[in-house]
Amino acid sequence: MAEAHAISEGRRLTRTSAASRAGAQTGRKATMIGLAMPSILLMALINAYPLGFALVQSVHNGGLLRLGKFIGFRNYLNVLTDPAFWSAASFTLLFTICGVFGSWLIGFGLAILLKPQFPGRNLFKVLLLLPWIVPIVVTSMSWNWLVATPGSLLPQLAETLGFGQILFLADPTMAMITVCLFKIWISYPFMMMMGAAALESIDNSVYEAATLDGANSRQQIRYIVLPMTARSTYISWILMTMFSVNDFATIYLLTGGGPVNATTSLIVLAYRSVFQDFLPGYGVAISFMMTIVLVALSLLLFRQVRKAKF
Amino acid sequence: MAVKAVTASTTVGIGKSAGWTRTIVLALVTLIALSPILVIFGLALRPRLYSDVTGPTLETFVYVIRNTDILVWLKNSLIVSVIASCLALFVAAPAGYVLSRARGGAVSLYSMLIFIIQSFPIVVFIIPLFIMLSRLGLVDTLAGVSIIYVASSVSVACWMMAAYFDGIPTDLEEAAWIDGCSMFGAFLRIVLPNSLPGILSTAIYGFLVAWNDYLVALVFLRTDSRFTLPVGLQTFFQQNQTDWGPVMACAVIMLAPPVIIFALLNRFFSIGGIGGSLAGR
Repeated sequence: MAEAHAISEGRRLTRTSAASRAGAQTGRKATMIGLAMPSILLMALINAYPLGFALVQSVHNGGLLRLGKFIGFRNYLNVLTDPAFWSAASFTLLFTICGVFGSWLIGFGLAILLKPQFPGRNLFKVLLLLPWIVPIVVTSMSWNWLVATPGSLLPQLAETLGFGQILFLADPTMAMITVCLFKIWISYPFMMMMGAAALESIDNSVYEAATLDGANSRQQIRYIVLPMTARSTYISWILMTMFSVNDFATIYLLTGGGPVNATTSLIVLAYRSVFQDFLPGYGVAISFMMTIVLVALSLLLFRQVRKAKF
Repeated sequence: MAVKAVTASTTVGIGKSAGWTRTIVLALVTLIALSPILVIFGLALRPRLYSDVTGPTLETFVYVIRNTDILVWLKNSLIVSVIASCLALFVAAPAGYVLSRARGGAVSLYSMLIFIIQSFPIVVFIIPLFIMLSRLGLVDTLAGVSIIYVASSVSVACWMMAAYFDGIPTDLEEAAWIDGCSMFGAFLRIVLPNSLPGILSTAIYGFLVAWNDYLVALVFLRTDSRFTLPVGLQTFFQQNQTDWGPVMACAVIMLAPPVIIFALLNRFFSIGGIGGSLAGR
C-alpha cells in the first residue's frame, strides 16, 4: 500500500511544478485535518473527556453523582487485594481465550468450507451470519429457553441420552461452559467474515498451482492458506480479544454473572460496582486496569504483526 | 487435458467447486447453528395457553401489540439506530479517507488513538456521559442515546471505510486533482460516489451496533414511552418469564429489521477487509 502510494506520488511530481506542489501539499494537509475533524471532535467529546473524568473518579471515593474525597490510589489497591477481582480476572481470561480461538476455529473452518462454489453456497453464507446479526437480547432469551431449567429442551435431551441431570446454568462449571459456548456461537460469524475476506485475497491460481503440484486440501490449508492469511488472522484475534473482554451483554443477559459469581467477568464486576454497589471509583478502577493490560497487549501484538514477514 | 485438470481440482483443491456432499454437510451445520433462532419462531407461532387454535398462529403477536408498547419501542429503536448509523457514517467516511490516504507520524498517532478508544469498555464512559448529558438535558432522550452509539461504533466504522478506500486506485483522484479539482472536491465528487458498497456496509454496521446495544439503553432511558426494544423487551421478559409465547413474539419483532436489512443488502456488506487494512497500516 505504502509503495503504491509512493509510486503515485512520484507520478504526480513529474506532472506538477515544484512551486505549485508546495502549495498543494499545504492544502492537502489542511484538507486531511479538516476531514479528520469530525471524528476528532466526536472522540474528544464522547470518549476523551469522559475518560479524563473517569480517571479523576477512580482516585476519589464518591457516589454516582458526587465526586467525594480524594483517596489517591486506594481504589486500585482495594481492587488488587479483592479476591472477587482475581476470580473475575481468571474467568475473563477463560472467556476471552474460548471466545477468540473457539470462534476462530469454527469461523475460519466455515470460511474454508464456503470458499469453493457448490449448490446453496450463497444462501449458507448469509444464514450462517444470523447469530451475529440477531440481537443478543433476543438470542440470550432463546438460549435461556433451551437450557435454563431442568425441564428445558437440552437438559431433557441430555437426560434421555443417559447423561443424567445436567444443570446448564445452575452449576458453576456448566454455567461457565455454557456462557463460553454462547460467546463462540455469537462470534463465529465475525471470524467467518474476516476469514472469507482473507481467503478472497489469495488468487485462485495459487490453489490451482498447488493442486497441480499434488498438494491435498490439508496441505493447502497448512502451507498456503494459513501462512498467507496470517496477518489478517492475528488482527482478527486482537479485535476479538477486545470484543470479548469488553463484552457485557453476553454474560449479563444469560447468567447475570452467577451462579455464585462463577461467570462474573471483569466488565460485569465493574458494572455491578458502579450501578449496584454505587462505588463508581472502584468500578472504574477495575475497568482501567483491565483496559491498560488490554491496550498494552494489543499494541505489542500489532507491532509484531506489522514487523513480521510472512 | 484441461477437463482432467478441472476435475482434479474439484476433488482435492479448496479453491474450486465442491459438490452436493458439501451442500448436505453445510445444511446440517446451519440447522444446528440456527436452532436457537428457529426456536424463537417456533415458540412465537405456538397458540397461547387455553386457546382453541391448533397449529401455527399469529395470536401471540396480536396479544403483544395490544398489551405492550412494542410498536413504540420498535419506532424508538428504528429512530435511534438510523440516526446513529447516519452520524457514524458522517464521521467515519472522512476519517477513513484520512486513514487510507495520509501518511506520517500524526496519522499513526491518530490511528492509534482510534484503536485505544475502541479498547475502553463503555462502562468507563457511562457515568461521566450521564452527568454531561444531564447538563445538556439529553438524558432519557433518543438523541442522547444515538450520540453514544456513534461513539461505540466509530472505530470499527472508520476501519471499514479505510479498508474500502484502500481498494480504490488513487489514479481516480489524481486525475481530478490535475483537472483542477480540490482534494476535498475530489473526495466528495469522485471517491465517495465510487464507494457506495463501503458506505452501505459501514451504515449497516452502525445500525447493527445501535440496534443490538443493551447497556446504554438500560442506563439512559427511564421513561416507558422512550424505551427502545432491548430495554422494553427485557422488562417484558422479566415480568413474563414463564409465558414464552408473547416474549418470543416480541423477540421476532426485534430481530426482524436487522435480518431484513441483511436479506436485502448482504451483497454489499463486508467487514472482513478491516483485517488486511489494519495489518497493512
